[in-house]
Amino acid sequence: MGEPRRVDGSGGDAVLEVACQEFVELVTEHLEGALPPAVERAVVAHLALCDPCVEYLAQVRATTAALAQLPPPTLPEPVRDQLLGLFGRLHPPSPGP
Amino acid sequence: MTEPPQPRPAPPEPDPPGPGARRAAAPPVTVAVAAARPGGSDDQAGLLARLRAGDQRAFAELVDTWSPVMLRVAMLHVSSRASAEEVVQETWLAVVRQLDRFEGRSSLRTWAFRILENLARTRGRREARTLPWSSAFPGDGEGDGGGPTVDPARFRGAGDRWPRHWTDAGAPVAWEPPPEDAAVAAEVRRELRAALDELPPRQRAVVELRDVLGLSSDEVCARLALTPGNQRILLHRGRARLRARLEGLYRGRTEGDGGG
Repeated sequence: MGEPRRVDGSGGDAVLEVACQEFVELVTEHLEGALPPAVERAVVAHLALCDPCVEYLAQVRATTAALAQLPPPTLPEPVRDQLLGLFGRLHPPSPGP
Repeated sequence: MTEPPQPRPAPPEPDPPGPGARRAAAPPVTVAVAAARPGGSDDQAGLLARLRAGDQRAFAELVDTWSPVMLRVAMLHVSSRASAEEVVQETWLAVVRQLDRFEGRSSLRTWAFRILENLARTRGRREARTLPWSSAFPGDGEGDGGGPTVDPARFRGAGDRWPRHWTDAGAPVAWEPPPEDAAVAAEVRRELRAALDELPPRQRAVVELRDVLGLSSDEVCARLALTPGNQRILLHRGRARLRARLEGLYRGRTEGDGGG
């Protein structure tokens, strides 16, 4: 993992710097596309130079991807059985409407 | 029981046909699923007729299809998974008992979710007296005081050549094998489920809705009456905790392997 390097102002406009400790608090807004443009540029510039922060971002993404794979919550089996039982008692099968 | 409690002024459409609903409804594309879709009113009538005729399979299918979404909706109002399960159970009991009196002026689904919303709200209000859900928003305040989401000891100090950059020991290490790999997927799911249940309620609700159920930030803001900024703070803090839990899981695995 290389040493993080300083970002030199070269674009003409004011250049912000983001250090790793700031990046980890900006990561969600970065993913949400909610950062002001100047800060977003600084984040992108930081990521271009910082492998550990790229890894951190990858881990946040991996976490959300894993969350999306969680099985949907279900009712406990005994509760489901109880509901079906009650339904059967209150609405016995009938031949027609 | 009397007629189901009527909703307060204009309840939000309780259940978006979002990705979660799609996932929950994946396997059997039959009557209940069709009725769960907007525009499924013809099947809706068929479904109601089947239920009234005592078609237990149709009812079971309905329970299996709607309960996952109901549980998530309930969790918006109550403080624990156990509470949410009870609310959903009560909802189904009300549906079963009142089915014959249901007049079909709204869809079965709208009716059922109105009952759910009312039961969940009532219970949530009761719990709010003892739980921090309704607390104000100091940083997010939910027990972690709005401090940093990553241990400051993992970053270099102010006197360092690269202040606030990762230390060698603190830098994140790639997760191998990745969480989706079959070798760890089940362990990752267990860890995430446990970690989610331990999140402060507002963080948990936002993460559940955004990342597990797949709702948009607009939908979540509307549901939870949050500003976009506060929604992002909760999402950020919740995700950071979950990432840290997975990091801990991987670190434990590596140590278990003898440091490899």
